[in-house]
Amino acid sequence: MFALNNNIGKSYVVFSTFISTMIIFLILILLLINSWDAISFSGIELFSIEWAPYKNKYGILSMLYGTLIVTFTALVLSIPLGIATSIFTAEILPHKYRFIVKSLLELLAGIPSIIYGLIGVAFFSIWVQDIFQLQTGRTLLTAGILLSIMVLPTIITLADDALTNIPHKYREASKGLGLYDYEVIKSTLLPIAKSNIIGAILLALGRALGETMAVMLVIGSIDKIPSPIYNLLTSGQTVTSKLGREISETAFGSVHFSALIFMGFVLLLVVICFTLIAQYFSNKTERLYD
Amino acid sequence: MTRKSKNSFFKIFCWLSVSACFGTLIFLFGVIFLNGIPAISLDFITSRSSNFGSEGGILYQIVGSILIVLVAALLSFPLAIGTAIFKSEYLNNRKWKKLSNVLIFGLNGIPSVVFGIFGLILFVNILGFGISWFVGSIILAVMMLPTITLTTFQSINSIPVIYRESSLALGLNKWQTITKVLLPQSFSGAITGLFIGLARAIGETAPIMFIATAFSGVDLPSGIREPVSTLPTHILALAQQATNPAALQNAWGASFVLILLVMLFSTTALVIRKRQLSHQRL
Repeated sequence: MFALNNNIGKSYVVFSTFISTMIIFLILILLLINSWDAISFSGIELFSIEWAPYKNKYGILSMLYGTLIVTFTALVLSIPLGIATSIFTAEILPHKYRFIVKSLLELLAGIPSIIYGLIGVAFFSIWVQDIFQLQTGRTLLTAGILLSIMVLPTIITLADDALTNIPHKYREASKGLGLYDYEVIKSTLLPIAKSNIIGAILLALGRALGETMAVMLVIGSIDKIPSPIYNLLTSGQTVTSKLGREISETAFGSVHFSALIFMGFVLLLVVICFTLIAQYFSNKTERLYD
Repeated sequence: MTRKSKNSFFKIFCWLSVSACFGTLIFLFGVIFLNGIPAISLDFITSRSSNFGSEGGILYQIVGSILIVLVAALLSFPLAIGTAIFKSEYLNNRKWKKLSNVLIFGLNGIPSVVFGIFGLILFVNILGFGISWFVGSIILAVMMLPTITLTTFQSINSIPVIYRESSLALGLNKWQTITKVLLPQSFSGAITGLFIGLARAIGETAPIMFIATAFSGVDLPSGIREPVSTLPTHILALAQQATNPAALQNAWGASFVLILLVMLFSTTALVIRKRQLSHQRL
């Protein structure tokens, strides 16, 4: 009887693990199969600029470019802000306030992305429109600003953890050499925490690449590469906003649908790569002497 | 620039950054609360919406949201517990441990919209479920799985080996050790993970908007193959008619209620975790 229970228990846990670990393969395979129509129909032309389903042209390059530039903008804004904030919470702030300040900052992570989108529509896009005198405030820049706020908590939390995990000895030894706080942080602490901070940034990058709702509402949804190419003040399109807007209007099984799935597949591969590299960096603990 | 002034500039930069973060935080919550509180009333949360959501309340959206995430939690919890037990108690090989971590973290990193198209292809089209709230629950369950698995794994894995050895020495077999000794000890960790998962899932829009929800004219579902309306998708629909002040006002009201639900779940998680920690110290 006990042995029987033991076996049932074991098969239950094996079965659960099998399901949880195989889902990711199921997703990859289903997406690949469903993008096959587009791959065989368009081939290398999938990586061209023009997206015009009525002409049977399915180039995803302008969406990829949109994703790239929006994510880049978001990171340029959030990396210095996030790392400086984490240095503040970990090194400058007296220890007793740390928990409360960190918990408050983590509230940012609790706001659902659709609410960020609503705030983006109601405030940020109007500000961008007024400040830059544009016809519409739904631009790549607006999406980038919104995304930078959304990835801030990821960077702050992980970078702060990386810094606080460094034993006190290192700070004391550096200060004993007569270094200022700035020099302690720059020459001792940041180099030690470097790989964890890179991990945090890559994780934030993965989040930013895949964010849908907030971006979709403020980006303007025009499938064009901006001209000139660095012009952030025009409407654009990201992979996710394209998927969010178009997929429910396309018939399952059509080339159009398949091209959208292909776009999702490319995004998925990129995001999974970044997540795994981030994992690698975060686990790469160098030996610290305590 | 002297070393001293560099130091001062650096500190000023850090102070400015923190102020910017707090300014943003206060702005965001201020906007949600200041716009949300005037929009809600007893009538708003107890009546159904009409005229594409710009009039009436959000009763069915609240019910729909809670229904979808609770069923998702019920689906996800047993799988996550099983996976966590296997990872912690049965998996001894370091390589396999690493691989399982890679797969679970990989699943955690998948963009939410990709879950949506996965659900659309597999459940709505291939398996022919049609647009139904239950499909939404399945997809949200998959999204919650890594969160619950990892928190449960951590709390099982952190139980000292001596508990397992004592229990085996008393003649309990492996499964009895797990159910009688390890699970009771790690249960609150698992529940914490469950509530963190719920807090994340209830705010998700992208995974359910193609597969589980309809934007208007939806009542309470009478079976598992019917769509519902949820708070996030309702906000989405209203945000797209942002030029209509009545619609925008209802969107703020719905956002406020959604934030309250998210906070309810995350504070529950926090409270359970704190209680567990103080319990362990005794």
